Amino acid sequence: MTAPSTSGARIIDRGYRRYEGERTGRGGAIGTLWRQSVQRAMGLRRSTWAKILPFAAVLISYVPAVVFIGQVALLPDEQLEVLELPTYGDYFPFIQAALTLIVAFIAPEVLCTDRRTGMLGIYLASPLTRDSYLVAKAAAVLTVLSMVTVGPPLLMLIAYVLQGVGPDGPAEVALTLIRIVGAGLVLGVLYTAVSLGVSSLTDRKSFATAAMLLLTLVSSIFVGVLVETTGLPDGFQALSLLAGPFLLVKLIHGEVPPVDISLPAALGGTALWTLAGAVVCRVRYQVLQVTR
Amino acid sequence: MTTTAAPAAPATTAPPAVVSARGVVKRWGSTVALDGADVQVGRGVTGLLGANGSGKTTLFGLLLGLHRPDEGTIRVLGLDPSTAGPEVRARVGYSPEHHSLPPDVKAVDFVRHVAELHGLPRREATGRASDVLWQVGLGEERVRPLGTMSTGQRQRVKLAQAIVHDPVLAILDEPTEGLDPVQRDDMLALIRRVGHDFGIDVLLSSHVLDEVERVADGAVILHAGRVVDSGSLHELQASNAGGLVLELDGDPRELLLALHRRGYRLEVTKGRLFVDGGPDVFDGVRDELARLALPVRRLEPRRRSLEEVFLAAGLVGGQARQPDSEPNPATGADAAAGAVPPVPAGRRAAP
Repeated sequence: MTAPSTSGARIIDRGYRRYEGERTGRGGAIGTLWRQSVQRAMGLRRSTWAKILPFAAVLISYVPAVVFIGQVALLPDEQLEVLELPTYGDYFPFIQAALTLIVAFIAPEVLCTDRRTGMLGIYLASPLTRDSYLVAKAAAVLTVLSMVTVGPPLLMLIAYVLQGVGPDGPAEVALTLIRIVGAGLVLGVLYTAVSLGVSSLTDRKSFATAAMLLLTLVSSIFVGVLVETTGLPDGFQALSLLAGPFLLVKLIHGEVPPVDISLPAALGGTALWTLAGAVVCRVRYQVLQVTR
Repeated sequence: MTTTAAPAAPATTAPPAVVSARGVVKRWGSTVALDGADVQVGRGVTGLLGANGSGKTTLFGLLLGLHRPDEGTIRVLGLDPSTAGPEVRARVGYSPEHHSLPPDVKAVDFVRHVAELHGLPRREATGRASDVLWQVGLGEERVRPLGTMSTGQRQRVKLAQAIVHDPVLAILDEPTEGLDPVQRDDMLALIRRVGHDFGIDVLLSSHVLDEVERVADGAVILHAGRVVDSGSLHELQASNAGGLVLELDGDPRELLLALHRRGYRLEVTKGRLFVDGGPDVFDGVRDELARLALPVRRLEPRRRSLEEVFLAAGLVGGQARQPDSEPNPATGADAAAGAVPPVPAGRRAAP
């Protein structure tokens, strides 16, 4: 008699088990939601189509920096001396397209989808509160935005160092790093707040995308026309969602902006938009009825 | 304000209430969604019965700490959800009414994500997500995107995510909504397993009386924001208002005549004598039985179906009664203060 073979045996139903272990609490819930939202925004664990836009955005922002590094690495010394790389402030227009893609298309995905699919009710039935939910979502959008606002300037720093025109000494390197990260985060926080504020007003991603693009364009045109026709100081350009943030970036990096604007004015304009977006989003979520 | 009967617990000794609410009022603008509701939910499976717009979902929102009551107090697992919402929700599972779930997410990823939200480490959450999907009968389907699943499968996924983190209490909002009769039977059997085999107390809402009757140990009947009746299913069905059922050894004719003279309504079906009457019917029947010295095989309160309980409470067909007052503009149901249906005799009525 032969013994029964157990080589292919496996337990597929272990029954319902109690869980007596540690629980990670609200902090763990925020971390989980943040990770899931970043994955969703980047199209990870989703279809190929869902990956195209976020990866295109990242690619658009990084390609110029990679090209500049390639130039610096490959060009002979005599050509390298005459090569003029863009400044940190001048590099930001390269990432404008990537920022627009993320702010208009990816941020609405992070917020609108939960309301449309009813996930918001499930999230708020967990240890998350309305505020901690928004914190996790904002952190997720900020993470994705920081990929394009902080990463490429860091590559540019490498390019400058390779060219021999980079910061001199540890103190200057540290200062440059602080400026790069600071400028990137300021830009990220601003666009996170505004995009979440707009996205909080509708369940439909397409409406949020259209509203975000309109707000950016209309605010910028309105401010531009206002400054041109009424003779308002150039500092009011800080209220333009297109130009204002990039003027601020130039000022943070110690560069001369193309218009006469002070650092406090640029910071004020950015803070105003950030506050407006955050307040709209929070107020909207405080009054949302989620159990239906 | 309505006052309700005993906890909906099947046990003989009084167990601690899983949910306890007193005088809860919740208004949405000018609409009164809950109007002084008193609710006690004990261990096991409890059905929250009421027509659409009767305040069931609002009550769930309050139990989860998603809204604050305008008046009254609520305790869930001994905690006040208004101030300890995250702590309550960590120990409670919730399955919402709607069927829409993220269509491009696999069932196992979705359930694991909810487990992690409730504080389970990733490794544990991954294992339990698969296990619990097996338990609800979706083992083979667990890697399918939710958008490709039928309504019945989605209801099972919703149940799975509500119990994956081993909650003390699972709140299920209309868990059989949209299911065909076979799927409904399966779902009810599953819910009963959750409540009795898995050791998770269940509070489920429904507007279908039969479902609650089949699966629940207790019930709370909500109408126009007020609790009109509650208690264990045994208590609700065996109310004095339902009369008695009697089986005799011997000729019942003398007894029939005697009871008829007392003014009780009588009905004889398949050898059983049903006696309708008020709270004194038991005493009257006992006295006549003693006087006639008749041998009794069976004497017990007549068990009513929940539909009869509903009807006794003035709720026709389980739907919200349309009173003379203006209907609730938000829900279509009656939320006017004076529209409380009559409470059955033998139960404590609202002042």
